[in-house]
Amino acid sequence: MKLIKVPKPPASAMNKDRPISSLLKTQLLHVQKAEFRLPARAQTNIYINAIKTEGEAAEYIRQVTTNLHKEHATPAVKPRRRLGKAKTGVFEIAAAAATKRHTKSNAARKKRSSKPARARRTKRKTK
Amino acid sequence: MPPGLDNLKHIVVLMMENRSFDHMLGALKQQDGRIDGLTGTESNPDSNGNPATVQPLAEFQGQLDPDPDHHFPAVDLQIFGDDGNRTANMQGFVKSYFHQREDVNHSKKILYYFTPDKLPVLTTLATEFAVFNGWFSSIPGPTICNRAFAHYGTSFGQVSMDIFYIKEPFKSIYERMINAQHTSKLYYYDTASSTMEVVNLLQHEPQLFGTYPQFLKDCENGTLPEYSFVEPNYSDHDTDSGEELANDQHPDHHVQAGELFIASVYNAIRQNPDLWKSTALLVVYDEHGGIYDHVPPPACTPDGYVASANDTGTGREFRFDRLGVRVPAILISPWIPKGTVVSGRVFEHASIPATVTNFFLKNYEQRSVREKAADTFLDLLTLSKMRTDAPEFDID
Repeated sequence: MKLIKVPKPPASAMNKDRPISSLLKTQLLHVQKAEFRLPARAQTNIYINAIKTEGEAAEYIRQVTTNLHKEHATPAVKPRRRLGKAKTGVFEIAAAAATKRHTKSNAARKKRSSKPARARRTKRKTK
Repeated sequence: MPPGLDNLKHIVVLMMENRSFDHMLGALKQQDGRIDGLTGTESNPDSNGNPATVQPLAEFQGQLDPDPDHHFPAVDLQIFGDDGNRTANMQGFVKSYFHQREDVNHSKKILYYFTPDKLPVLTTLATEFAVFNGWFSSIPGPTICNRAFAHYGTSFGQVSMDIFYIKEPFKSIYERMINAQHTSKLYYYDTASSTMEVVNLLQHEPQLFGTYPQFLKDCENGTLPEYSFVEPNYSDHDTDSGEELANDQHPDHHVQAGELFIASVYNAIRQNPDLWKSTALLVVYDEHGGIYDHVPPPACTPDGYVASANDTGTGREFRFDRLGVRVPAILISPWIPKGTVVSGRVFEHASIPATVTNFFLKNYEQRSVREKAADTFLDLLTLSKMRTDAPEFDID
């Protein structure tokens, strides 16, 4: 088996201040396009036309790439939490909006009917 | 089925940036006449009409500055020269480069090529495994549309660096694999280099991506996906632990950094015995970067799209019926005979999803015309017994 020594580039090869190529300019535009779809809180507010060097471009690309991964892993909408056991089956938002009236009518209903709640629900379903 | 294919579980593609076949591997013709490289007499007229000849004077850095133009109109000039009859004669490279600096002597550097001793990694792999005489970029144009062919088998009508959008029913090779319960990943170098496939894949499917350190770990742990696509580092930049040198070989990045990177990808596979015997690694370049190659790109099956005269910038529409300039491509596996030279066949980047699809997914119909027509390359794993003489690279 041959072992082949691979020469290393000199330290002088590194140049973070090298002006960005048309490839990196394009990548910046594409990254910005993706960034604009992120929620405002995850946007960098970096003005990409002011990016002139590879080092600056890389820092912007790093931030947006990290944010893209992070935001993608975050649920976009939190599932609603239901308020206790809903007796009527309506969603909490409607229930919350009508809390006072429901309380009154529930009380009135209790007076009108001596049947247990479970039986009343069953009756409604069979209609 | 040959034993190499029976054992094959992984395909890895490493796509580098912007170097032509003759520039990187053309000198190998002196060692092996089967390789369709340079005789040393190839020439282009300079802007004064005098012939400029290819020279073995390519340097690692500082020579191709400014970055040679490789957008559609420039490549059109490079391929057709001034020929009013539109014959692909590869006579317009020097003139094209002259337009950028208007310096006759400097424009001739576009014909310079490397000698094999300068590129020990690429030339060793080319001579130890299979080198393709006819692997062409998919479009006579720049990076983004060419890389699109590697991911989707089409660029959806795009011939430039502009954003393209996926059109149904075509899906990326990664999505095809995942949807069919196979495994697949794109490994970009790090988050500061990221990917060139931002708008369609990174934005919508970031879970498809990993980093190069993860690739190394996956190779070591034997957890590499069935299909992996590796992207190099596109920029010199700071990291938390120091600095990273661009290793994509895009001019004017240092070519030796790319050599180290190719060696690192190869070693990662080579050093895990189970992975080595079950993996095919393709090293290929996305396009020629405006640098000279002597082989005229052939006509190809049209893609069904038409780029308007306005989009091409040449005053002529383009029907995706001709390939781009030839690029270096090497297929590596211990099941490939040493010194394989693939001749008389035409490959392009659509050959990548075509090969992966044919091998892992078999009959998958929702593919572009170009991908369906593209040649595949796994038939090169012909040995009945695995080789044990494959080289290793010392990169420490």
